[in-house]
Amino acid sequence: MTKFIVRRLLLMIPTLLGVAVLIFLLLRIVPGDVVEARYVGGQGQFVSVEQMAMERAKLGLDQPLWKQFVAWMGGLVRLDLGISMWTGAPITEEIKLRFALSLQLAVMATIVATVLAIPLGIVAALKQDTWIDYGVRVFSIAGLAMPSFWLGIVFILGLLIIFEWLPPMVYTPFWVDPWQNMLQLVWPALAVGYRYSAVATRMTRSAMLEVLREDYIRTARAKGLWTKLILARHALKNAILPVLTVIALEFAFLLGGLVVTEQVFNLNGLGLLFVEAIARRDYTLTQALVMLVATVFIVVNFTVDLLYAWLDPRIRFR
Amino acid sequence: MATLLEVRNLTTEFVTSGGVVRAVDGVSWDVREGETVALVGESGCGKSVSALSVMRLVAAPAGRIVGGQVLFKGRDLLALSEEEMRRIRGREIAMIFQEPMTSLNPVLTIGRQLTEGLEIHLGMTPPEARARAALLLGMVGIPDPARRLGQYPHQFSGGMRQRMMIAMALACEPSLVLADEPTTALDVTIQAQILELMKDLSRRLGVAMLIITHNLGVVARYADRVNVMYAGRIVERGSARELYAEPRHPYTLGLLKSVPRLDEPRRARLDPIEGQPPDLTQLGAGCAFEPRCGFRVERCTADRPELRPAGGEGHVAACWELGRVARTPAARVQ
Repeated sequence: MTKFIVRRLLLMIPTLLGVAVLIFLLLRIVPGDVVEARYVGGQGQFVSVEQMAMERAKLGLDQPLWKQFVAWMGGLVRLDLGISMWTGAPITEEIKLRFALSLQLAVMATIVATVLAIPLGIVAALKQDTWIDYGVRVFSIAGLAMPSFWLGIVFILGLLIIFEWLPPMVYTPFWVDPWQNMLQLVWPALAVGYRYSAVATRMTRSAMLEVLREDYIRTARAKGLWTKLILARHALKNAILPVLTVIALEFAFLLGGLVVTEQVFNLNGLGLLFVEAIARRDYTLTQALVMLVATVFIVVNFTVDLLYAWLDPRIRFR
Repeated sequence: MATLLEVRNLTTEFVTSGGVVRAVDGVSWDVREGETVALVGESGCGKSVSALSVMRLVAAPAGRIVGGQVLFKGRDLLALSEEEMRRIRGREIAMIFQEPMTSLNPVLTIGRQLTEGLEIHLGMTPPEARARAALLLGMVGIPDPARRLGQYPHQFSGGMRQRMMIAMALACEPSLVLADEPTTALDVTIQAQILELMKDLSRRLGVAMLIITHNLGVVARYADRVNVMYAGRIVERGSARELYAEPRHPYTLGLLKSVPRLDEPRRARLDPIEGQPPDLTQLGAGCAFEPRCGFRVERCTADRPELRPAGGEGHVAACWELGRVARTPAARVQ
């Protein structure tokens, strides 16, 4: 088991390195850089080529690619993300609050999704091809069909029209005022979690259906166990594995992928920052964000693998 | 010996895309206390479904029991509530399944799978159940049981898993064990061990057994009485001794002739039954075995024979041509 963990941890290094090389090169293939974006995009003033070259030199963009890469890597190894090319502020500062917000939202949406998906999926599987099953399937397909930002707008309008109340539009960190914080974040979490539960519900349903047909379920029934015990002890533990994967990967995606939903709820999260960083050709910030999301993906994947090993003893001994 | 289980006119159907299949068609058989009865036949003849019907574990909604009675200690199991039936499963009637590889839950320890029945049916505390589980594993010949309880099925060999299944079945001291092809998935050497173990335990504990098999060798050695099934019906029943010495149904005769025997000259030809078992959705009014039968007469196509006395006590066969089958020399080969 220890060997398994150590090996997986070591495997993270080449993966992250691959991501780093890719994003580093891709960003520089895209035409334009931060200097052009700043001067050309803006006020329409004329800027001399020399001045632009000077700006580039200040940011280190005149260095050969490999030197830039090595410098960046050197910083990463020391957990120093550098400064934003656009604002000049330390990236850690830029990201910190937004990451906390996006992480909290992702966790809350995941909780909503899990709480919805697993019971619904189980019920649908047990009542396969009855109106309950159809109902669950319609509910989950509706979730997939409605974009969460649209649902978010409906929530806001609904709250406004029915309760004449609006959720707070200014972000309060959880550690400052948990109640205000929840009042604001619970709505996007519901909107995103509902949509996100759709895939997990369907996965739970089909995994349950498959497991319920297994021979060992018949054995459990032949032993005279209560149906609930068979479901909880024998079926669910087997069916939960693929569901876990879906939920975990979706979680990682939520961290950086909620651009529009964040806008609807006036949330200053990672999604918006991502879009801005790319539009401004802010290499250092984009790179840092990509590495952050990649790390989250890898860590989540690793956690899922550990959970798998914990849930399925056959994996432990490989 | 008193009758423990009596199955009367049991009929179980499956709804398939090809139509309704009557997997078990008005079958009657019984098991007496402490006795070993065999249910023999080719794949798909309805023998497993018969056992699953007794346990009321036929996969719904495709499969359902449409008629008959299953009297266990005088109570009709088919009339019980689901909760009453649950109390019988594993406690009074236990089942051993064919595939030890897939019939054990891969994510639960052997100990957990052994103790849950004890906790539920016998109300044992976890430590008590664990102690008994270790005892049971030892009883079925698994060395170092205390350590084995913490292991998972994939750490057991096929033979050991089947031993574990037997331990699980005997855990609550049921009075009847239904063994559905308990050795089919195992190596030949292991098969013999498992069967000896089952026979030994059933004698020692006085458990009655129903062995479902297609292996006539198993039947000859371990069963007291035999029911031969074909296309959802019983075509012959009798004591194992008599059935072997004097089969009266052409199908039983064919089964016996298609098994190689070590005591025959090496060049003796096997005589398999030609053709395939019939499609159960397309059964006619006559005898289901008629198309493959060497003894068929005109009457067989239109008129289905019922079971009737065929020699010794309790020996019955469903064939119009009992006499001719009896006079066939091959029927006396022993």
